[in-house]
Amino acid sequence: MTPLSQIWVIAKMELGRVFFSRRSFWVYLLALFPTVIFLGHAIDAQLKVKRWGGERGVKAELLDQAQSGMTDEQVLALVGKPVTDQTRKRRARRDDDPADKQPEVRRYMMYFDGKRRVDLRFEDGKLVSRNARVLMNFEDDRRVYAGMFQYFYLRLGIFFGCLGIFINLFRGEMLDRSLHFWFLAPVKREVLLLGKYLAGLIAAAVIFGGGAMLSFLAMVLPHDSVEVQTFWQTIGTEHAFWYAAAAALGCVGYGSVFLASGLLLRNPIIPAIVILVWESINGFLPDVMQKLSVLHYLQSLCPVPVPLPTEMPAVLKMLLAPAAPTAVWISVAGLLTLTGLVLFAAMQAARRLEINYGAE
Amino acid sequence: MAVYRRGYQRYEGGLTSHLERLMVMPRFSWARMVEQKFVLILLVVSMFWPLLCATFVYLANHSELWQGFDTGFKKFLAINGKFFSVFMKVQSGYALILASVAGPGLIAPDLSNNALPLYFSRPLTRGDYILSRMIVLLGLLSLVTIVPGMLLFGMQAGIAGGDWFWNNWYLGAAIFFGFALYIVTVSLVAMTCSAYVKWRVVAGALVLAFFFLLAGASEMVNSVFRVEWASVFNVGYAMNTVWAGMLDLAIPDEKPGVLECAVFIGALGAGLLALLARKLRAVEVVK
Repeated sequence: MTPLSQIWVIAKMELGRVFFSRRSFWVYLLALFPTVIFLGHAIDAQLKVKRWGGERGVKAELLDQAQSGMTDEQVLALVGKPVTDQTRKRRARRDDDPADKQPEVRRYMMYFDGKRRVDLRFEDGKLVSRNARVLMNFEDDRRVYAGMFQYFYLRLGIFFGCLGIFINLFRGEMLDRSLHFWFLAPVKREVLLLGKYLAGLIAAAVIFGGGAMLSFLAMVLPHDSVEVQTFWQTIGTEHAFWYAAAAALGCVGYGSVFLASGLLLRNPIIPAIVILVWESINGFLPDVMQKLSVLHYLQSLCPVPVPLPTEMPAVLKMLLAPAAPTAVWISVAGLLTLTGLVLFAAMQAARRLEINYGAE
Repeated sequence: MAVYRRGYQRYEGGLTSHLERLMVMPRFSWARMVEQKFVLILLVVSMFWPLLCATFVYLANHSELWQGFDTGFKKFLAINGKFFSVFMKVQSGYALILASVAGPGLIAPDLSNNALPLYFSRPLTRGDYILSRMIVLLGLLSLVTIVPGMLLFGMQAGIAGGDWFWNNWYLGAAIFFGFALYIVTVSLVAMTCSAYVKWRVVAGALVLAFFFLLAGASEMVNSVFRVEWASVFNVGYAMNTVWAGMLDLAIPDEKPGVLECAVFIGALGAGLLALLARKLRAVEVVK
């Protein structure tokens, strides 16, 4: 048998375990969670249109006349009863600065005109903010999807999913005390490692790449059919491809790192924490150091850039300086090179590996 | 004489007290835990921020050192609820990492080696077992949370004088009870993960994943549904809100308030305790 066919045989044997073990349930949950949320959003929007659109719906022209500075009573007289009406009185605090005057009463009203939801915020009886948005806005949803993909899917979902799948490949067998069976087989350690990595990679790429595609479809399909058709005919397929590719390449990068740390260290949680912290503070590091992370290259592949989180403190926003995206071919080549180097180190470790189950 | 031919009678000697029995396990677990190099490194690293904060307190109380600066700088140097809130947020991060490293080793080995029947054949209840394991983690986590927090508060009270203390005693209480609530919650999460995942390594990853994924998922729900209520399921946010309530800080109107967050944390704690009690039994059914 050639080494390649040996790798494939090992991968096939491992695939069943990776796809159908009880632990994989959590990985599926992680991958499919965004799909469920986007489907829930579509259903929720339809229910809201039904619930708010009936007798509680108001005319759009009247709502547009509500301008900053109007009192709450004027707005009520003009537009009518809102769908939601909440009033909060401010409580005095011990360290209140008398020079810094805060509004005493805050009122929030929400109207619906059949398509748009309009949020009105009043402070001490005066309208201070007016925010209108269409319930199912395709542009907004695409931006939200981009944010979800970069902040949740890449940073957390794929990260922890790969941690679960790839650490399990060697460290799990050591804890199960079954690794020696693999070592008794007449295959080189490098072949064994590549076979296991291939199995983990296929599973992770299918689960997370598939999850990304499904959630993308769940985001796109509930929208207006004309908008959706135009989207597919222009940039839709390209976006879907790059999201799936970024997810799969994330599995390639994180998978190799976690497989190697499962082999090199007795407690792979320590590198996991280090990588998690490194990837989290990535945006605050100098340009050169930002390029030493898997996330930077994956973000460069994403088709829609994500704005900075609005709630981030001003000081942190000042320090945050994301590096310019790297060219696509450099990103892919960089990730594959990193993976190659890490796998090479893992092969060296696998070659020297001696099993001592007692120490586990 | 052979052992089986001996006659046995009930032990009638002196009994150790309940507290003494309870403290046997923490004594041994503590020794094992502080042997871990990474735990010690983390403990040392986690002292940097309190040291920086102590320097800040010193500077804030010596106005002669920053004479000539404007009122904005004076405001920045104020030692108030906001200052302690930032301190608590940073230290809670260290506590979480410590719990994910040290916590899983507490229960997982007992379960994977089927040692629970040995514990429960002694005068220890399930509650005692959970409490004794928790004491170890609480002790460790309080070293990076309550202890530096109270030292900092004590330092400020000592330098600023009795008047400051009488006006701001609630800050000390907030630091103590806020951190206590946090480390109990984190310990319960770590112990439940340790009980459900017999592998220490995976349990550690699960502790981290629990906090990070819940935070990520709640933010995702917020942004997809354009709401704010899902923040309550972010343990970090819920805890910060409860702390803000204790420290008498303002909370944004649109976000879930102190009551909602406190109810969530209470429900989470009760759920975790129920899961722990369900898992920790002296017998195991092998299917």
